[in-house]
Amino acid sequence: MRQSPDELPLEMTMSQLIDIITSPDPSLRNRSLDAWCRTASVSELLAECAALETFRRQRDNLYERVRALFFLYAIHRFHLPEKPGMPARGLVPFEGYTHLLNRRFEEAIDVFLAAQAADGPTDAISSALAAAYHSLGFQTLANQVRRSVRSVHGNQWMFRMGHPADHPLRVRPELLHPHGELTDLTLQSDTTHGDYLAFPILRERTPVRMDLSHSGWSDIFFLGMDFPEGARVLNVSIDLAVVGRDTSPKPPVEAYLRVIDEPVLKLASVDLGASAVISDLAEVFDFAKDYLGLLKAAVIAAGIVPPGIEGSGQSLAHLLEMVVGPGLGLEIVSSVNNIPKGSRLAVSTSLLGSLISVCMRATGQAKSLTGPLQEHERRLVAARAILGEWLGGSGGGWQDSGGLWPGMKLIQGELAIEGDPEYGISRGRLLPSHRILTDTDAPPEVRRKLQDSLVLVHGGMAQNVGPILEMVTEKYLLRSEAEWQGRQQAIHILDEIVAALRMPASDHDNPVRAIGAATTRNFAGPIQTIIPWTTNLYTETLIDQAHTTFRDKFWGFWMLGGMSGGGMGFMFAPEVKHDAQAGLLDIMSSSKRELEHALPFAMEPVVYDFAINQNGTYADLLAGDEALLPAGYYAMNVPQLLRRDQRQLSRVQRDELDRFATACRTRPELNGMVQILFDRLLPRTHAVGDGDRILFDLLDESGFDHTQHEHIRDELRTGRIGLAQNRLPTNASIQDVSPDDVTDVTFTSHPEWRDAGMQALANGEVAVVSLAAGSGSRWTQGAGVVKALHTFSKLGGRHRSFIEVHLAKSRRVGTLYGTPIPHLITTSYLTHRPIEDTLKAKENYGYQGPLYLSPGRAIGLRMVPTVRDLRFAWEEMPQQILDEQAQKVRESLHHALIDWARKTGEASDYSDNVPLQCLHPVGHWYEIPNLFRNGVLQELLQVRPQVKTLLLHNIDTLGATVDDALLGQHLLSGAALTYEVITRRIEDRGGGLARVDGRLRLVEGLAMPHEEDEFRLSYYNSMTTWIDVDKLLAAFGLKRGDLSDQDKVLASIRTLAARMPTYITLKDVKKRWGQGQEDVYPVVQYEKLWGDMTSLPEVNSRFVVVPRMRGQQLKDQAQLDGWLRDGSAAYVESLCQWA
Amino acid sequence: MQIRKAVITAASQAQRHLPLQTLVDRDGKQKVALCVIIEEALSAGVGEIAIITCPGDEAAYMAAVKGYSARLQCITQPAPLGYGFGLYCARNFVAGDPFLHLVSDHLYTSSLHRDGHLVTCAQQLIEVAQTEDCSVSAVQATRENKLPYYGVIGGRRVPGQSNLYSVENVIEKPTPTEAEQNLVVPGLRAGYYLSFFGMHVLMPSVMTILEQYVTRAGTRGGIQLSPALAQLATAERYLAFEVHGRRYDIGVHYGLLNAQLALALSGHDRDEVLAQLVELLSTSE
Repeated sequence: MRQSPDELPLEMTMSQLIDIITSPDPSLRNRSLDAWCRTASVSELLAECAALETFRRQRDNLYERVRALFFLYAIHRFHLPEKPGMPARGLVPFEGYTHLLNRRFEEAIDVFLAAQAADGPTDAISSALAAAYHSLGFQTLANQVRRSVRSVHGNQWMFRMGHPADHPLRVRPELLHPHGELTDLTLQSDTTHGDYLAFPILRERTPVRMDLSHSGWSDIFFLGMDFPEGARVLNVSIDLAVVGRDTSPKPPVEAYLRVIDEPVLKLASVDLGASAVISDLAEVFDFAKDYLGLLKAAVIAAGIVPPGIEGSGQSLAHLLEMVVGPGLGLEIVSSVNNIPKGSRLAVSTSLLGSLISVCMRATGQAKSLTGPLQEHERRLVAARAILGEWLGGSGGGWQDSGGLWPGMKLIQGELAIEGDPEYGISRGRLLPSHRILTDTDAPPEVRRKLQDSLVLVHGGMAQNVGPILEMVTEKYLLRSEAEWQGRQQAIHILDEIVAALRMPASDHDNPVRAIGAATTRNFAGPIQTIIPWTTNLYTETLIDQAHTTFRDKFWGFWMLGGMSGGGMGFMFAPEVKHDAQAGLLDIMSSSKRELEHALPFAMEPVVYDFAINQNGTYADLLAGDEALLPAGYYAMNVPQLLRRDQRQLSRVQRDELDRFATACRTRPELNGMVQILFDRLLPRTHAVGDGDRILFDLLDESGFDHTQHEHIRDELRTGRIGLAQNRLPTNASIQDVSPDDVTDVTFTSHPEWRDAGMQALANGEVAVVSLAAGSGSRWTQGAGVVKALHTFSKLGGRHRSFIEVHLAKSRRVGTLYGTPIPHLITTSYLTHRPIEDTLKAKENYGYQGPLYLSPGRAIGLRMVPTVRDLRFAWEEMPQQILDEQAQKVRESLHHALIDWARKTGEASDYSDNVPLQCLHPVGHWYEIPNLFRNGVLQELLQVRPQVKTLLLHNIDTLGATVDDALLGQHLLSGAALTYEVITRRIEDRGGGLARVDGRLRLVEGLAMPHEEDEFRLSYYNSMTTWIDVDKLLAAFGLKRGDLSDQDKVLASIRTLAARMPTYITLKDVKKRWGQGQEDVYPVVQYEKLWGDMTSLPEVNSRFVVVPRMRGQQLKDQAQLDGWLRDGSAAYVESLCQWA
Repeated sequence: MQIRKAVITAASQAQRHLPLQTLVDRDGKQKVALCVIIEEALSAGVGEIAIITCPGDEAAYMAAVKGYSARLQCITQPAPLGYGFGLYCARNFVAGDPFLHLVSDHLYTSSLHRDGHLVTCAQQLIEVAQTEDCSVSAVQATRENKLPYYGVIGGRRVPGQSNLYSVENVIEKPTPTEAEQNLVVPGLRAGYYLSFFGMHVLMPSVMTILEQYVTRAGTRGGIQLSPALAQLATAERYLAFEVHGRRYDIGVHYGLLNAQLALALSGHDRDEVLAQLVELLSTSE
């Protein structure tokens, strides 16, 4: 309950931001934080922070606490750092960082606030406070959702049950009778010999949900619970077919359950080709052990193995005896008919709902064993699905279980009333209400016309929607002006669509055209206003081409779910729908080919047929000859049964084989099954496949050093190198630098620097080197795309890649000083061809200056990690602890991966993936010597002999550009290498500038003897380096003239390389399989790093502190939103001149 | 309101021999279970008792309880159409009067003494029904793991009464999910519900409701008492009374043994039985 202002302490009554939070007046409550902060001074902001901090600690109301937390986050992340007079340099206390990693956010905040009180506010401490407030905000929300899920009536008992003898559920008697009748015939069978009759199969078939409009992701739980009036979704249950593969649409999600004559739980996923026989209760809670986590979550959330029994040490057989009967168990099988992952149709939530529904029906928790569910039962299944998602460590929106309901429905948030578990805690209920649209709301003719016009596709991209949902929540709480207006618009657009559905359809005025116009406007307007990252170059290419190809017959685009690129909808005039299906497939395939190195694609695009499902989830009982599981189940299991001695099979198994054999002869859908079984029984002998040959060829082509590889393997196996051995000796002294050790150019400059720089630029003495050999593992979580080509953001009105941005900066500087800048892009086996092809196709993005590609000359083959290194990474290095359940899932995954490493062979070659995912570049140290080896530097110096300086930068350091003053400073300092460093924020991990045993140098994070050492360093290495060409050559023992002597060049590189440390690193790589499925494996590789050049005493290395916007790197796509909002994007744009 | 009639249902096909099991009562006398149940009813002032039996069981039952034959009559349930139908077979016997209903597979011990005398469970129930002048079912707080065995009521405590509830809903053998959604009674511990005790005082109107069910079901059967009581709750005042006592289901595994021990330990052979139990415990391996 809200307090009136006079009940608040004095400092809080003075706070304008608390007024915004507590005001009952929507016009004040919905005021934007940004608008207020824009004009506030540092001291005003700090005073507000103090008041908000006291306020949020005192309040019980969820909304007030969470909004205060997000206000605090935003002030520290966006507003304080921008204010003049805010000191940049500062240290983040390691103790606070450790609290953050362990999810002790309150303690972390205490430590950071104490540091702020002691040392004064700094950019560094604000970054730490922002991270802590942000995490605490989301933790508070997640805890509330979890509490609400647990307190839903009907779920609570499952958390109380801790012993099988207390189990209150019983399998319905129909499932124990071969013909599904009510009498329990097992009593009549010869149970003394365990010889049961066949058991019937309960089959649940569930449509997936399609989302006509979600009013700006208003189905996020917190939005629904805080702003139920605005939480509205128009949601349609649909059957699906893949065009060209399936004959007609059918409910894509199927869950099967039957009693079996063994006291075990058998789980099988037909689509993932995975099955397990579980006899141990603990294994049911081991979600990441195999691909059956979703089925396990369903069994738990349905109460068959209730969550309360986890860790009880009880017997699963005893539990099954109570629920099913002595000596009996259950088999549960799932199938989604090969609908690809990432369809944005909530397939996994629908499957979870379907599985929970079948389990609940089987145990009498739904009134009817077969047919549709009743409304209160659907709501309970939906609540259990939320619980199941939480158990499995995932989560979607509250509309995702919409497929349980029939037809079209308006799902909307509900105000919590007295008696609800949410009452007094949040404004809205956890679960929304579902209003099924009647024939008046959406006449059958309109529904048919919608089906006749809409082409559903899966574009092939698979992306993580998680960060987007967090951004939406954050922006909602901050009420950022544009986004809040966008939300209002989205709500109006939903009204428009609802109104259009009521329109009487006529030939002249098809309501689908109005719907198409509305969804297109929604996508282009509010959706992208709230989250610009929902669109991408691929989607926009598809829309453009649909317009070009189908002109006025293309009626609109429709983004399904969280973001575009995967599942999408395109609306066409009915008469061209058939052509549009084929045409869109062509457009998608060709666009994917063009962009597949730049954007993460998980699969080939597909086009669906769909039909509105009028049943919702629906069950039937298959008995007698009909009691068969899906064909894929038999393809997986029959070979195993056939290999066994027939006498070992139970009567139930023999009967089933017999039924299946009969069905194979008579059912057309089982045509070809004999061949499939034959292939499984007698698999072809494995030969060296094309993939292996390509890998070997690539290794040979790329100068792979077998001797060195074997040496590294040997060292890894014996433990001479490894993650622990990367570190400097523990007695090494790591000290922060003093102000005299660096030249701070953040606010100061000298006219002579500029003059020297301008002169050098006018003379054409500078070239730029962009490092583009890596795949950006963090950027796409190991998807293996070329980060340099990733069209990551709209700049200058279009999606631009990293390379295009870097060239645009060189263009601007070249224009400014009248001499084009030579631009060199280093590449590797992974990136060379795609970059070369793209530059050719894009005509060098219109870059007029000299442009060179410097192909890599060193390559490594990734290896399976050692268990020792995996344990070191996961158990000894600080890790971000996840939410309780997600952490359990992660630990289970770690066990599985350690098992994988052991079984595959520690330090064996990693070759079980596409070749490009098996190879690795060997670190950016090699990029510069590569310029010597591959002749690119020699060529440059021939064309432009006056070049004296190279500006080297990472592909993701978007602010790095040829700055005249910095160049002049470098030239006048006489340095061989001038490294640019920036003041540290909490997210800047990976080493820094230090005095190591007295020597000023950069030290890698991998080499820090202790984790806390890094937190004593004020400056972070941006990697941007000004290089004096001749002095660098001298460090290698070379002169310009030696570049033509390859033997000398090679020998000099080897000599210096031997002095550079070799680091062992773990990288995540994705292995793709099936229908858009991806597994991530940790693999080991080695690297030499450029920053270690500063450890050479004969090389004169200097260090300059540059503004953060110049030196910061974009490592993770989740950073993009902050990058756009904090002015970084605008800063980069100001450096560019687009072609 | 006077309760002069009682109906004992004993026509379950699977448990037709249960009421004829022999045990020793509180007074140390050997008798069949049915006799113990009849005595429970008589203790409450009931004058006439009808026993609903399967066809062919009448003679055996009457022989087992011949000491009470003057007050007894057997009514045959012609077809196994459900528990509710069994009770409905007594409609002519009830003849428009309120009646006590007991099941034949439950025995009871009371913990209430008044003026030095034990007040049986049936006595307690009838007193409440007479005071409140409405149907009253005896109930007992039961942990949710026992839900698969009983009918369960949902309702609210009658203001000013510690163990009297107005019934709003009745569900037979609910799942815990259903119970949590519809049968939570404020004031009870979490995970506890009020389940039937196997003893009811019912107004004759229940026969009218049962008649509707019998008509609808025809020969399909499946006629249960709980839905009829749920309907009764919507039609008229219907209470549940938390009895001072315990019930023992002799139909479950070791149920008869349990009931026997409970009777013995509440009677005058308590010390002897306890001594035997201690000896048994000390000598068993």
